[in-house]
Amino acid sequence: MIAVRGLQKSFGTARVLRGIDLDIADGEVVALIGRSGCGKTTLLRCINFLEEYDTGEIRLDGEELWYRTTPGGARRRVSEAEARRMRQQMGIVFQQYNLFPHMTVLDNVLLGPRFAQRVSVAEAEALGRRLLARVGLEAKMSGYPAQLSGGQQQRVAIARALAMRPKVLLLDEITSALDPELVGEVEDVIRSLLSDRIMMVLVTHALGFAREVAHRIAYLADGAIVELGSPADILDRPKDPSLKEFLRRVR
Amino acid sequence: MPPGSLALLAQGAVVSLLLAAAAIVGGTLLAVLLATIAFARFAAVRAVYRVYVYVVRGTPLLVLALLLFYAMPALDLRTGPYIAGTLVLIVYTGALFAEVFRGGVLAIPRPQWESARSLGLPPLAMFRKIVAPLVTRYTLPPYVNVCVMSVKASSVLSIISVWELTLAAREIIERTFAVFTILGLAAAFYFVMCFGIDRLGRLLERHLALKGFAGERA
Ligand SMILES: Nc1ncnc2c1ncn2[C@@H]1O[C@H](COP(=O)(O)OP(=O)(O)OP(=O)(O)O)[C@@H](O)[C@H]1O
Ligand SMILES: [Mg+2]
Repeated sequence: MIAVRGLQKSFGTARVLRGIDLDIADGEVVALIGRSGCGKTTLLRCINFLEEYDTGEIRLDGEELWYRTTPGGARRRVSEAEARRMRQQMGIVFQQYNLFPHMTVLDNVLLGPRFAQRVSVAEAEALGRRLLARVGLEAKMSGYPAQLSGGQQQRVAIARALAMRPKVLLLDEITSALDPELVGEVEDVIRSLLSDRIMMVLVTHALGFAREVAHRIAYLADGAIVELGSPADILDRPKDPSLKEFLRRVR
Repeated sequence: MPPGSLALLAQGAVVSLLLAAAAIVGGTLLAVLLATIAFARFAAVRAVYRVYVYVVRGTPLLVLALLLFYAMPALDLRTGPYIAGTLVLIVYTGALFAEVFRGGVLAIPRPQWESARSLGLPPLAMFRKIVAPLVTRYTLPPYVNVCVMSVKASSVLSIISVWELTLAAREIIERTFAVFTILGLAAAFYFVMCFGIDRLGRLLERHLALKGFAGERA
């Protein structure tokens, strides 16, 4: 499980996260919603330490991530090697796929297992093939990213993240850059992961999809979680006025 | 045409080509090291890079050659100019290649770094699998530019008595006074060498082109 406590993050004088508390249970899918600029992406990036944060702590299965407090009370980043080990427990998928353009689809998927986790070539290839089959792209294995459609690239990106056998998947608006007719194929892949009981944090503007796959939805406003509850609670019985307003605008 | 001059010029061209090859290989290795330093965590280390590039790039190759030549009196007189000359070319092209590579690293989009980082790739794998392949592709045209230049730059070494194409030409001219014939021939040799490097560069470019992009055949 993941436990986020008192997470705060500023960019210069702009306070972007103002004390985030969030627990994610094993196998749980939590959707993050909120208007543009409220800090959803920043929160995901902090969880994966692509962004440093100012105070607060993040634990994964009890282990504190990214920072250590010295006996003197000073807060220090963990070493690069430690950070790499911790990152391997998480997969992140971005809005813009970000596949490596000079590698085949299979090599994109293999890269993490081969060179970060030092899995043997044969084992990594078997894993890569299996994952690509799972996202329906076995036939495109030896193609290059630029030869694929956006939806296909995004499915490869999901396979690449899954190849690390992560405990958590962090998904940042993974269908927002796609043409409407390609959204379904990517959402199908996410649906198929539900039975794996992998933890997911899903940033999305697609409220229908959030209702369907998320166990809980967190509504962020101005860098804080304003309301948190079941999809029905958040989407059908919102209490917070700004959430009501947000839902009215999105629909 | 004075008898035997063509063979002499050809021999000179081979020496020029060897000098350029040493400059390209040595300069590339040096530049990889320098470009790594350019992105070091500590500002003092990065400053070393800047000082190196500014000094070397801001000094005429001829002056550098003379400096190093006179600074190496301890060396044997026969090998002296060749070693000094090769070193000076490496030092010089190293600075130029380093800037080319630095530009290539800066051109890697931030999301590419972040994808690689999020996989937890160790530094060496990051370099071998992401940075080197991308930088190679981004920088091939300016890289070939410096390679071509290094062939011509080797002619400066004739000043410190490195016997190569230009010095061979001057020797023949002193004997025969066939100024324009010999200089024209020497220029033709330089042109052929540069053109060859250019073609090689183009072949490599085509070979390394990112698959599936519109510019593939540009
Ligand atoms: N690198 C940065 N430097 C300065 N400010 C930043 C940076 N990244 C984000 N911000 C600011 O932090 C705030 C939160 O940004 P964030 O990207 O997390 O929003 P978001 O909720 O993901 O929005 P969207 O729905 O548009 O993706 C915004 O006001 C943004 O301008
Ligand atoms: Mg965002």
